[in-house]
Amino acid sequence: MTAAPLLDVRNLKKSYSIGRSGLFSKRSLKVLHDVSFSVAPGEVLGLVGESGSGKSTIGRAILRLIESQSDVMRFDGQDLNSISPVRMRSLRKQMQIIFQDPYASLDPRKTIRAVLSEALDAHGLHKGAARVPRLIELVTLVGLDPSFLDRRPHEFSGGQRQRIGIARALAVEPSFIVCDEAVSALDVSIQAQVLNLLADLRAKTGVSLMFISHDLSVVRYISDRVMVLYLGRVMEVGPADQVHFSPKHPYTAALVSAEPSLHRENRRIRLTGEIPSPLVLPSGCIFRSRCPYAQPACAETVPPLQTVGDQHQSACLRTDIL
Amino acid sequence: MLAFISRRMAAAVAMLLVIGTIIFSLLIIVPGDPAELLLSTGGGSASAEAIANLRVNMGLDKPVLTQYVTFLYNTARLDFGTSIVDNGSISSVIALRLPRTLEIIIAGTIFALLLAIPAGTAAGLRAGGKFDIAASAINALLTSIPGFVLGTLFIFFFAQVLGWLPAGGYVAFAANPMQHLQMLVLPALTVGLHLATIVFRMTRASVLEMRGHDWVRTAVAKGLRRKRVVRRHILYNALGPIITVVGLQLGILLGSTVLVEFIYNWPGLSGLLVSAVEQRDYPTVRAVILTVAAIFIGINLVIDILSSLLDPRIRLQ
Amino acid sequence: MMSVRNFPKRMILPSLFLAALIIIPFAAPLITADDPVKIAVRYRLAAPDLEHWLGRDEFGRDRLARVLYGGQVSLTVAFVATTIACIIGTLFGLVGAYFRGPSEFVTSRLSDIVLCFPPILLALLVVTLFGPGSVTLVAVLSVLYFPTFARITFSEALRVTSLDFVEASRALGTPSYRIVLGTVLPNIAGPLSVQYSLTAAAAITIESGLSFLGLGVVPPAPSWGQMIRGARQFMNQDPLGIMIPCAALVLTIYAINFFCDRLRDTLDPKGTSGSSMDEVSKPKSRANAPTIKDPDVVAVINNLRLETAHFGTPAVIEDVSLTLRANQCTALVGESGSGKSLSSLALMGLLPGAIRQVGGTLQLRRKSDEVVDLGFLDARRLEDIRGNDIAMIFQEPMTSLNPIHKISDQMIEAITAHRPMSKSDARAHAIALLKRVGMNDAERRIDSYPDQMSGGMRQRVMIGMALSCEPRLLIADEPTTALDVTIQAEIIELLQTLRQDQGNGLSLLFISHNLGVVADIADRVAVMYSGLIVEEGPAAQILRDPHHPYTRALIESMPSSHEELNSARGDRLPAISGTPPLPSARPSGCTFRDRCPIALPACAHIRPALYPSADGERAVRCLRAPEAPAGVMNHQTEAA
Repeated sequence: MTAAPLLDVRNLKKSYSIGRSGLFSKRSLKVLHDVSFSVAPGEVLGLVGESGSGKSTIGRAILRLIESQSDVMRFDGQDLNSISPVRMRSLRKQMQIIFQDPYASLDPRKTIRAVLSEALDAHGLHKGAARVPRLIELVTLVGLDPSFLDRRPHEFSGGQRQRIGIARALAVEPSFIVCDEAVSALDVSIQAQVLNLLADLRAKTGVSLMFISHDLSVVRYISDRVMVLYLGRVMEVGPADQVHFSPKHPYTAALVSAEPSLHRENRRIRLTGEIPSPLVLPSGCIFRSRCPYAQPACAETVPPLQTVGDQHQSACLRTDIL
Repeated sequence: MLAFISRRMAAAVAMLLVIGTIIFSLLIIVPGDPAELLLSTGGGSASAEAIANLRVNMGLDKPVLTQYVTFLYNTARLDFGTSIVDNGSISSVIALRLPRTLEIIIAGTIFALLLAIPAGTAAGLRAGGKFDIAASAINALLTSIPGFVLGTLFIFFFAQVLGWLPAGGYVAFAANPMQHLQMLVLPALTVGLHLATIVFRMTRASVLEMRGHDWVRTAVAKGLRRKRVVRRHILYNALGPIITVVGLQLGILLGSTVLVEFIYNWPGLSGLLVSAVEQRDYPTVRAVILTVAAIFIGINLVIDILSSLLDPRIRLQ
Repeated sequence: MMSVRNFPKRMILPSLFLAALIIIPFAAPLITADDPVKIAVRYRLAAPDLEHWLGRDEFGRDRLARVLYGGQVSLTVAFVATTIACIIGTLFGLVGAYFRGPSEFVTSRLSDIVLCFPPILLALLVVTLFGPGSVTLVAVLSVLYFPTFARITFSEALRVTSLDFVEASRALGTPSYRIVLGTVLPNIAGPLSVQYSLTAAAAITIESGLSFLGLGVVPPAPSWGQMIRGARQFMNQDPLGIMIPCAALVLTIYAINFFCDRLRDTLDPKGTSGSSMDEVSKPKSRANAPTIKDPDVVAVINNLRLETAHFGTPAVIEDVSLTLRANQCTALVGESGSGKSLSSLALMGLLPGAIRQVGGTLQLRRKSDEVVDLGFLDARRLEDIRGNDIAMIFQEPMTSLNPIHKISDQMIEAITAHRPMSKSDARAHAIALLKRVGMNDAERRIDSYPDQMSGGMRQRVMIGMALSCEPRLLIADEPTTALDVTIQAEIIELLQTLRQDQGNGLSLLFISHNLGVVADIADRVAVMYSGLIVEEGPAAQILRDPHHPYTRALIESMPSSHEELNSARGDRLPAISGTPPLPSARPSGCTFRDRCPIALPACAHIRPALYPSADGERAVRCLRAPEAPAGVMNHQTEAA
């Protein structure tokens, strides 16, 4: 990579303590195991995985909305692990989030004006006379009518609410936005509109995105690079088209083959068994219990991410099969 | 399951300990000398000798820690000490009167459940229908009548105007079973109606909620008979929330029994309590309240276990 | 949320009622000049007259004055105590919920302890120590009730804090105190105000109860409880004496409760307008549709029209006709609100109470070859058909099974509902079914509870249960939407195999918004838009060569249709603008014309029919489709 990364994360870990098995020992549930990645300025990194893969946890951990541990977490040259709460608050101006559920992500009691003003107030932006023009600029940017400003969320459709959520994230002119399943709750025809909007904004403002979704095609279309997660571990990461069309990890291959498509003849790779409980993970390769290519060796070591192509890495011992 | 029960029992014992401690410390944190305070009825202060006697009697002259340990030890043995009014054993008075109070509560609870669960179910299944509107209106009115007002009105109508039932009093069951039951009717009805309003409301809400769940639609889609859908997939699921609320409301029920017993001259715990409060007989008041709190905790323990039997998710968590 | 302008109508009456009952006691000096404590033994128990409207009590005191001034005392004690409890409790709860940690522990444990004391007993305990009086009462009641407020605030705040919009505020960098006061507090104000009213009512009850026992407000100060206590002895001679304070007390509590109920309904409208579960929608008139002749056809929906129960509302389903054949999978495709799920629920007789069938027929050929119209059957016969001739699986496997019954019990009851079978035979049959839907170790797992299974497994159970009586028609309403993509593929594959295995030629009605899934499983496709079928025909033809612009737009909008596009290279998806119209705001003419890239002026005037193709295989509801008859545009434009 040529440019210094905007976001650099090394060995991100997250676990929850759950109940007690004995009287004193607390069990812990590990949802992220040493996840490392970086995002370049202006880049879109896609995160793909099924439920339990930890993809949403990563987004929230970076924004420090939940506690997590990591060896390195640097954003725009600043160390997020040692940052003071006051500095963190002002840093939030640069990193924003768009949520999945357009109904839960807006306060039903606040007008759109209040929602967007909260964002500006938090960082003392566009005060006084500059406020109204900025609000109008924001709603226009996401393709809404300025007359909507004094309405409340219940007057809008899901797609419109999602645009408002995007406007809120853009209000502070961030350089990085986490899109957590941002189009998953939308109907297909609306989803395409919002995807185009995100693509336009990215072209216009040069913002970096972390695009989290379970839908491979959506992620492939919107992302530069894609990272595939399974049970909190990175299985494969690489350029979007490469990961999608010539996956190097059996799990990615299975995901792509399972995805229903109008145009491709499906030769589905069958996985065996069910997704294991995060409490009793298989030894070695976490995917081996469902992998059609698993060998005894897969139970021995956790496969490291190995370079398999230009910017393309895969965590699989069996480099011989795909 | 066993682990679940023992965990709950440990929690109940811990709760009793905390409550005992709070009741004990209330006497300590009262400003001034508790013995003097307790004897100062209506402005006139008691003789120095009487105060000193009481101090020795209640063990107030000993260090606080000793008092506390003695109190816990005696309470655990169900020995509540003696009354400061007549020096009688409090434990034996409670043993005599407690069953009478429980009788009213049990009779009232049975009445409430028999009335309110079917009515609440019917109202919930046809929410917005004629029966629901009528029953909910009656319920709203009944909810607004405090127990002692309801009792007073009952005496006025059923005893004085109509003369159907005795206005109050108590006869031991062994002495005259018929009369005993006649005297039980009004107190039990008064306590029960109040509980019934709460159970009705909860049953209706719970049935209404369960009715909307996807599994009810599945049950209907399976072609089950309506009765079975209501019984197995609505009411059975609603039962857990209902008994939990009943358990919590029993505290209020136990409280309203105090007034109801007073009105009907029913010689249960409340007569003892009210006169003890009037005479500032703190050891007796303390003992009655501890007993009631213990009953309340005991009932809720049973209800916890019952609801875990009803809902596997509580057991499995 | 509630500005003066849009004060909810349902709140006007209870608010006025409550305000009146609170204001009147405090207006006592304006109403009567009498002194509530002035004794005139000469006039004891005097009947009402012009000067003393409510007569005099057992000490000859004016009863009107006593009721009014007594109300002042009761209301003051109750509301002061409730307000103190509310403020302290809310603070505790907010701190506990937002900052968690030890304050959380204190908040939840404290209320557990206080809940163990029946309120009136705790009040008695304190009265023993401090003696009776209003100040003692206020103090006791505040201590008694603040943990309840803390608990409610805590749990509500916890719920609100986990919502996305609070997380959004945190992500924006809004300071904590502003989030708590500006976002969390307004969103929990509803439940808190309900609790406030409840507590005020309970406080009045306790105050009057204690005064009734002579342990509350100290005489001669008037209070309702004391008035009842005093009048009790003279109940016989003077019923009015007991009725007046009782009425005042009950009315006040009722006013508060009434206000509280309405408030709750206004804040949380769900459940109040609950439609009855027994409401059965019946068509208004019986259409004379021919009965099914073709033995291959399992069910026919003909010109189905559904409306909401409110008078004069537009149809949610305008016109749906569909023929479902044996050994065939028909997919019903559309976006949310298109009416696809309602159409299938109509077939099951499971329409929500608020929706009525006002036209059309729903014919079904039963396993016995009897043809019935599902819209005209009574509840009992529908029960015989559901699960037996038609079965259904739903979108949410996590909630579709009853969490408190074992899988075995739920399957067995589905079997024995339609087949005379012993419980053990039914159990064996259920195990066989589970094996058929691909569950390993079925003998053991049949005795687990739904919560012990993954979503995919539960959906397998649902499918096994649906097939338990070998229905001829299986309706699958978005059966894979809630599942992960690898599990989705397995379930689709399972449905495919089962369809081939089922001996009597199962007809599958598959409802989905996902065209990719549909392409995998369907033989025929019907596309719905805004309550109408807009295109229908063989799946391969429609998906490869859609004739309706909406079908085309659906396919084109999917990123998976454009594997060559990538936003990084500046590509855009070919999206259509706008959103589907609400039933009340459908445009004239063609309902899609507002969003249609190829609409003509004529489309605003003509509501197109479903035009069949020459070979009769497919049909399209579009004036510009090749199937549209020549001249239809000119002809109808002139007519309009």
